[in-house]
Amino acid sequence: MKQNALFDSPGPRGLRLIRIATLIWVLCLLLIGAYVVWRLDARGQLAPQKWLPFVTNIKLLKFLGDGLLQTLSASLVALVLSLLAGVVLAMGRALGLAWLSLVIGAYVQVFRGIPVLLNMLFLFLGVPLVLHLNISAYTVVVIALLLYNSAVIAEIMRAGIAALPAGQRSASLALGFSEFQTLRHVLVPQAIRLMIPALISQFIIIIKDSALGFIVGFHEMTAKAQNAALQLGNPLQTYIVIGVVYVAINLAVARMSHWIAHRKTHAASGH
Amino acid sequence: MHDIMIALRDVSKWYGDFQVLRNIDLQIGKGQVVVVCGPSGSGKSTLCRTINRLESIDKGTIEIAGQPLPCEGKALRDLRANVGMVFQSFNLFSHLTIIENVTLAPRKLRRSSKEEAHRHALQLLESVGIASQADKYPAQLSGGQQQRAAIARALAMRPQVILFDEPTSALDPEMVGEVLEVMTRLAEEGMTMLVVTHEMGFARRVADRILFMDEGEIVEDRNPNDFFNDPATDRARAFLSRIL
Repeated sequence: MKQNALFDSPGPRGLRLIRIATLIWVLCLLLIGAYVVWRLDARGQLAPQKWLPFVTNIKLLKFLGDGLLQTLSASLVALVLSLLAGVVLAMGRALGLAWLSLVIGAYVQVFRGIPVLLNMLFLFLGVPLVLHLNISAYTVVVIALLLYNSAVIAEIMRAGIAALPAGQRSASLALGFSEFQTLRHVLVPQAIRLMIPALISQFIIIIKDSALGFIVGFHEMTAKAQNAALQLGNPLQTYIVIGVVYVAINLAVARMSHWIAHRKTHAASGH
Repeated sequence: MHDIMIALRDVSKWYGDFQVLRNIDLQIGKGQVVVVCGPSGSGKSTLCRTINRLESIDKGTIEIAGQPLPCEGKALRDLRANVGMVFQSFNLFSHLTIIENVTLAPRKLRRSSKEEAHRHALQLLESVGIASQADKYPAQLSGGQQQRAAIARALAMRPQVILFDEPTSALDPEMVGEVLEVMTRLAEEGMTMLVVTHEMGFARRVADRILFMDEGEIVEDRNPNDFFNDPATDRARAFLSRIL
């Protein structure tokens, strides 16, 4: 058994207790699962014609697949832009110029506080009115995600920089680096490594939040699923399938990022 | 005198109401090795850190090689590049390998070519005895090896002075010797050094002068023999009896 960081390893009585509790818990879950399956079956929700399209209907799969690509594309673009903007904002705040910190602080507080859905509506309604510009649903979604996530990532990076030992900054300044060079060559690279788990969580939030784009007519996976379900009359099944797809994507993201993080920090932390 | 490397005149510093440095007057000649000792809280580290302005001063003047210490900007950065510093906790950049730690500043600040910086860095790592560790990360090295790497990093900028702020205080006892050995060789090669340390053996062997500080002032400034054999003040006598 692997040593747990949070608990003492249990003694014989504890082990027995854990086994009994686990058994009861598993039995409960099985019972609940069986009940759900039984009820669904009774209401005809397990009928093959409701599920088979996801294997046999190529048109449906292509339709949903297009949505998936839109979801991934908007999320990835939003992530890359948010990362860049977040790092720049955090650096700006760490430079120690009072007016710049004030402006960036205000930006962070405002855009961290507005729901992404509202951002989308503001952009969708406001940009054509104010700028006389047609703005695509895709652009609305990306910018709305960018506004919110750059603010959050700026805070994550600020925490990362603050968590580094003060000696790193002193050593860099003592060598003759400026505050900006110190951030760029010494502090930010270390803060990013430190904050990789938080950044992964934020990417997963971006992927899920992109589904809010349906409100401005962005045809990503959730919106497409809604359309398809209306045609085929199997909404429950469709949502279950794309729910599984979301979980699978986010598992893959987490796996990949942990792998990258491990490769990068393995040597640096000496584990 | 043109061969004065560091000159402090009437330097004072306060943290709020607490005066950490009291009217410090100090001149260090080129090639001199000056050891600063004294009880904790006596202002030794603060004194060390004012010389490259990691700590600012409230009163007095500091001159390095005849030039007043700049307050900010490029002039201050250029001066810092000329004054090496070695810290108690090594402070190697943990995301870079040892060789990258040593080449970073020369490449970015002196615009050395990659090859030239690499060659010089390897030479320095060789001289401190850790060339074989060049591609490892700091966390993979022992404390003594990390501190020797930190000395190499400071030397890579070809400084005129090196400040050592308790360089062996964070080391396991068996690693103190290897770091002091490197510092002794630097002293023999004529480097100007200000060393805050409790290593009295090193002070006796290597130092040209010993400064004894207490409560923010320099109480004694003497050659090692006189200081150890016949301290002039009760405060120094009490300090020596506690640590020897």
